[in-house]
Amino acid sequence: MDITQDSMKVVEIMSRLSIDRASRALSKILRTGAKISLSKVYIADLSETTAKMNDDLREMTGVMVNFKGNVSCKLLFMLPLEGSLILTDLFLRQPAGTTKEYNEFTESVTQELGNILASHISNALVSDFNATLVPQPPHVHNDFAGVIFSNLVLEQGMMDDQLLLIETQFEICKTELDCYLFLVPEMTSFGKLLDNIGVKS
Amino acid sequence: MRRILVVDDAKVIRMVIKQILTRHGFHVAGEAGNGREAFERYKELKPDAVTMDIIMPEVDGIQGLKEILAFDKQAKVIMISAIDQHDALTDAIRNGAADYVVKPFEDDRMVTALKNIFGEA
Repeated sequence: MDITQDSMKVVEIMSRLSIDRASRALSKILRTGAKISLSKVYIADLSETTAKMNDDLREMTGVMVNFKGNVSCKLLFMLPLEGSLILTDLFLRQPAGTTKEYNEFTESVTQELGNILASHISNALVSDFNATLVPQPPHVHNDFAGVIFSNLVLEQGMMDDQLLLIETQFEICKTELDCYLFLVPEMTSFGKLLDNIGVKS
Repeated sequence: MRRILVVDDAKVIRMVIKQILTRHGFHVAGEAGNGREAFERYKELKPDAVTMDIIMPEVDGIQGLKEILAFDKQAKVIMISAIDQHDALTDAIRNGAADYVVKPFEDDRMVTALKNIFGEA
């Protein structure tokens, strides 16, 4: 995969702006300080990333969202089961610890958080970078990190050994919540978006 | 009491909207999880207004809006979505939506939207 250093800088700016918007939306819906910050944007080796995910043996809740438009992209938000219980209580404005096990509310909250994150990320890319990008209904998965990540890779139909990964850190109520937020754009269409805004991919 | 049909694929959002509406003197006549169910429930319940999500599985909210308005030209449908994009907004308005509320929203925003369409604001 060829991507210039200049293009990577643009991708980083795009990612930061869109993640900032998602972060504000998340804070508003949870009515608490929630902060998502960009960790890194990089070209990852597919097998290495899959191996890293396979090493994470915690049971996870993940929500996957496909985007349609002139940029084909996928979002995966994944967090340990205990984290999803905390988010359920925050979302439903219940005292922490009320939700003791995964249930239909946990699934629905995860689904809605995926929708909010994906929508606000796409809103930023559409308004700031002339993309057309509309999220599709989210799908919730419960499994090990490696299995959920493999689903993402299979769905994206990765033909390449590398992928562009946008990784973030998640902080809620000043407590770092150990979760993954991956944005995986399909490179050909993403290259077109960069061309549209005058950056040679 | 105004009767409202709440449409969203996320159960928790239906629950939150129901709580807000009940607190502000509306009655939630029914719920639906996609555009097709919304149309069926609309025919059955004849609510005074509908709050309709856009991105939903099977049949989306825009299609649900079209079907409801084809059945009842006087139907009042407010779109509620996290999509805050010009194309989505114009698509909803062009197809007859009475208002468009962006998620996440303050309680007042939705209540005012409903009161506006009933001329009670």
